[in-house]
Amino acid sequence: MSTTLVAVVTVLALVVAALGITSTLLRRRTGLVHLVAAGLLEAALVVQAVLAVVQLVGGTRPPETSTFVAYLLSVLLIPVAGALWSRTEPTRWAGTVLAVAGLVVAVMIWRCLQLWEATGA
Amino acid sequence: MPDRGDPGPGDGALGRPAEPTDAQDTSGGPGRVLVALYAVFALAAGARAAVQIALDFAEAPLAYVLSAVASVVYLVAAIGFARGGRAGRRAAVVACSVELVGVLTVGVLSLADPAAFPDATVWSGFGQGYGFIPLALPVLGLLWLRHRSATLDEGQGPAPG
Repeated sequence: MSTTLVAVVTVLALVVAALGITSTLLRRRTGLVHLVAAGLLEAALVVQAVLAVVQLVGGTRPPETSTFVAYLLSVLLIPVAGALWSRTEPTRWAGTVLAVAGLVVAVMIWRCLQLWEATGA
Repeated sequence: MPDRGDPGPGDGALGRPAEPTDAQDTSGGPGRVLVALYAVFALAAGARAAVQIALDFAEAPLAYVLSAVASVVYLVAAIGFARGGRAGRRAAVVACSVELVGVLTVGVLSLADPAAFPDATVWSGFGQGYGFIPLALPVLGLLWLRHRSATLDEGQGPAPG
């Protein structure tokens, strides 16, 4: 896990959430901007996951390894699911669905970091 | 579905104008937000319960079983909202009611008798570990169901049979 990447992921996740809420407020569906932001978020999450897996293989083991891995892998699905699902929603609530996904990622990545940093304790 | 013609200038980036929410069942519009939240909570509570029950069930059996029950309730609600129709709405009403009673009961008990809940559940302290979303969800769900049932029943006329 990289703390810098966690910060990047958090910012991107909040941007996705803000964009989603914006399109709901403007009574619009989600568009290209949302897709790009969700894509960047997903890319950052993949880099983070690869990094963490490399460190896990290298011998770093958080105390609750199984929970950590579950969070690490399931968080990868959230932006994809959120983006796909908001694309198929024709009402203005499409953006809110994506915003929920963004906020969930923000929470999950911090929970991940928390589990990871318990290593030395 | 409406035509998917080219978006007008400036429409593409932030999305095309939305359709009104009216003609949908419980799965559309704000309902989709509820389905998303319920699905996330079903997964979160379920995964958590699975790990805890598998690794150290003896530590706090009541809390872990409760987490498992909560995840099933969330799943039923998510499916109920997503499927809609009379059966879906009825399932969602039952799930949301159980959930509301559960979060209130466990909330009170976890504060009154912390010893019974050595490890937190989604419903402990009225869901404070999860930003009180577990407390807000069933209320929002029931309000949405009431709203939807009212508008849908109006449009359907007398029920058959």
